[in-house]
Amino acid sequence: MKPSVKIALFGVFFLAVIGIGTALYLYNKKPADLQNVKPEFTMTAGELLHAFESDEVNATVKYVNKVIDVSGVVATSLSGENTYTIALITGSSISFVICTFQNTSNMIQPLVGETITVRGTCSGYLMDVLMNNCVAIIK
Amino acid sequence: MRRLVLLFFLLFSIHVANAQKYMTKNGFIGFASHTSMEEIKGDNNQVASVLDIKTGELVFQVLMKSFHFDRALLEEHFNENYVESDKFPKSSFTGKITNLSTVDFAKKGIYPVAVDGELTIHGIVKKISSKGTLEVLDGGINASSKFNINPEDYGIAIPSLVREKISKDLEVTVTMKYAPLATN
Repeated sequence: MKPSVKIALFGVFFLAVIGIGTALYLYNKKPADLQNVKPEFTMTAGELLHAFESDEVNATVKYVNKVIDVSGVVATSLSGENTYTIALITGSSISFVICTFQNTSNMIQPLVGETITVRGTCSGYLMDVLMNNCVAIIK
Repeated sequence: MRRLVLLFFLLFSIHVANAQKYMTKNGFIGFASHTSMEEIKGDNNQVASVLDIKTGELVFQVLMKSFHFDRALLEEHFNENYVESDKFPKSSFTGKITNLSTVDFAKKGIYPVAVDGELTIHGIVKKISSKGTLEVLDGGINASSKFNINPEDYGIAIPSLVREKISKDLEVTVTMKYAPLATN
């Protein structure tokens, strides 16, 4: 076999390995851990709820899918199967910012009444503002 | 959708006068696709639901972006290619328990129920019927149901390239832990 053919075959093999490796990495990639992601917005739970209550269309464009640091007092907390959900007080008696933590294995669960900052991805507004993939931010 | 939100708030807002309504904001709805090539599941733990035990009316609302997957690529494809979450951010169900008289809400126990209603996904409304159970507890009600839906009924096209990886019927699991509205 000519050296040039060998080099070409090696090149094809090398590219195939890189391609398959990249595809497998992307296919199996886990949702991002937000602990080291810079938030696009930092606000209180009351401010975030007010933004959706006063103009849901614009707030959806501005905040949905964005990483936000939200601070507030924990009103309720609830453990689920592999999840943990807290509701942050907003000043409204019926609407909260609800934050769901998916990875709860090493998590110190926030207590009711505790003031906390949560980093999460905003999913939108039902009668509460919903945040997902949340992590607690220790300052 | 606006009418549904109004109904939801109406059911919610009259709780002071009537304690026969139960609610959760942390309900679970999950769906699963089982094929020999791949197992896919999406979970949503942020389902808002109201149950009126006097009339048997049931309302569920979910944000599609609150479905969580164990792989980032699945979540991206689900939101962008299949359910188009930016265009159709919410899904809902409004329905009624059709055998309400067989449930004794004053007596603890597990009661089989049948539910008829309209399911809205991807902007398309379909009538569905499902069976499930209500578990009457001290100070709460648990509800659960399992049923199948075909995504193509809701205008969700599955590309032929991944057709073999996604089952035609998705198994939907619903689990709610309702509390009386006055204590929510």
